[in-house]
Formats: sequence, C-alpha cells, structure tokens
Amino acid sequence: MSTAIVTGAAGGLGGRIGERLAAAGHELVLVDLDPAVEAVAAEQGARAVVADLTVAEGVAAAVAVAGEEVGVLVNNAGITRDARATKMSEADFAAVIEINLVAAIRLTLALEERFVDGASVVNLSSRASLGNFGQANYSASKAGLVGFGRALAQRWAPRVRVNAVAPSLVDTPMTRAMPPDVLAKLVAKIPAGRIGTPDDVAGIVAFLASPDAAYITGQVIYACGGRTVAP
Amino acid sequence: MPILSGGMRGARGKAEPTVLRPGPLGDDPGALTPALTDAFVAARDALEAGRAVVVVVAARDLMGQGAPLDAALATGLLGMVRTLAIEGAKPGWRINVVAAGEGSEDAVERTVATVAGSELTGQLLQIGGANLGKLPA
Repeated sequence: MSTAIVTGAAGGLGGRIGERLAAAGHELVLVDLDPAVEAVAAEQGARAVVADLTVAEGVAAAVAVAGEEVGVLVNNAGITRDARATKMSEADFAAVIEINLVAAIRLTLALEERFVDGASVVNLSSRASLGNFGQANYSASKAGLVGFGRALAQRWAPRVRVNAVAPSLVDTPMTRAMPPDVLAKLVAKIPAGRIGTPDDVAGIVAFLASPDAAYITGQVIYACGGRTVAP
Repeated sequence: MPILSGGMRGARGKAEPTVLRPGPLGDDPGALTPALTDAFVAARDALEAGRAVVVVVAARDLMGQGAPLDAALATGLLGMVRTLAIEGAKPGWRINVVAAGEGSEDAVERTVATVAGSELTGQLLQIGGANLGKLPA
C-alpha cells in the first residue's frame, strides 16, 4: 500500500483524517510544525515530520520521509488571522496566503514524481472561499486552493486526481474557544442545525482518496451542512 | 499587480475606478503572496477612498485551464473580492470581477466601465460566453 501524507496533522481534524486513511490501509506520514504531531503519529503507528512547510528545508524533509510511492496527499495545514479588511495588516494577509496556499502548492509540486498512478490529492479549502466577513486573507487562500486544484487536475490527469473539500464550521479547539452566543448565531445559519465534526470532513477526504472516487477530479465538495445555500 | 487606472477624477467629477489586472506569475509559487497581498492593499485603499474596484482575470484561469499558479491567483482574487464586498455592504463599497474570454478585449473594457458605474458588488461577470456550461467559479 502506498503512503498517505497529511499536513496539519497535530490538530483534531488532521489527526482524524490520518486515522481514516490508516484504516483504509495507507502507510501514514503526518506533518506539522507543532511537535505534538509526534504523539499523534505514535498513537497511529505513523511516521511524523515536524517541519515548517513555508521554507524549502521543511518541504524537503516531508518529501524525504514520504518515500517513493505516494498515493495520497492531504493539504490540511492552515491558519487564520481574522480581521476586518480595514484593520487587517499586510503581514497577516501575507502570512495566511503563505501558509494556507503557497506551502500547500510547494509540497504538492515537490511530490509530483513520487505520486503513483491513481494517486489522489485532497486540498482542504473552506466554505469561506465564497466570501466570509473578516477573512479576506483566508478567503483568498482557500479560493486559491480551488483554482490551483482545478488546474493541476487537468495537468496531471489521468495519473493523479486533485480535488478539494470545503468545510464550514468544524468542531475544533478554535471553534470551542468562541463565545457561546457568537457560535450559536453561526450555527443558526446552518440548515443541518449543528456544527460539523472532524469525522464529517475526514469521511469525505477518505472517499476522495479512495478508488470509489476514481472518476472525480477537479471538483470541490462543500461539507457545510447546507450553509452555502441558506440565507 | 498593475493598477491600470484609479485615483483620478473623470470629466463629470466622478471618481474613476481602480482596475487591477494580474499578469502571468511564472513558475515561483512564492510570487503568489505579494501578488495577492498587493492586490488586497490596492483594493482596500481604493474602496476606502470611495472608488469602485474592478479586478480583471482570464476566464480560463478561473477554470484552471492555464498554469496552476495563475489559476490560484485568479480564484484567490475572486475569493478576496467576495469577502471585501460582504464587508463593504454597509459603507457601499463596489468591487467586482470581470473574467475576460479569448479575444474579448473591447468587450472587457466596456464591461469594466459599465460595472464600475453600477451598483453591482461582489459579482463575477464573464465576457464573451466564457465558461458557459462549466462549473460556477
């Protein structure tokens, strides 16, 4: 079985994605800037790479551990630096682009020769790619991933598929830290009536990585409980 | 990110729009960061000054039919524009995207002028039948 690489794997969502891919039989490589990824990897019998993917050395470290036969890459690493546009610093705008978009592109392109036939790249985009108050930087980064994926899907077809998952609110430490009244207002806009779980997203990633999705490439699946169509 | 126009007053005293139009990025992914950041700053400055903003991209890039980095830039700009339109609803910011099809330059210029003078905001207008029958961008 080929290797599956998951970035941003120290977090709850990345860790859950890793579990689903391991259950599908992949050998896992978990990557994160946070050394906590080592404990997550130990639990899952995976290899860990503590690396900063915004620098060439970090990308090289991840590629070196990935081996020669990569079947799945999940670009999950990301940050937020939210602020209204009028208050947003250039540094915060650039940081989000660099980590969420450019780092994912660098790693994906660096792995080009290592992808096996039928490999799958899954980019974690966001419903916010369609626009979201206070997230000009995040929206740009996640929408950029969509365009990059569409282009790569065409360029690398039929050897490698490239798709994206676009979640809305997901139950993570970050969302749990939100004021309850703010979170409740956001949840009220979701037709499904609840916040998403890491499993909601990980299941879609696992599907896109699997042979069941062999005819799907260049697409985005919105995992947002219907938020994209609600008022 | 070339700013093709902006900051001047037209013959009728109405502020001219700021038009942002990215060029090809080349092969360095790192070029995306300054391209998007510069566009953000230019757009925000124009909007705060009361000028309309029109971002012009290649329609083929929205569908990823060209270079991957150019596609990332085009869709990234679209995401940014949509958020700025949401944030600018109350102050009345007007910012839109015009997607140019092949050989549609005259139509693009006319559309930019029309959009900039309208109440539209947060919209994507694809010129010359580009991307009909394709995914919504």
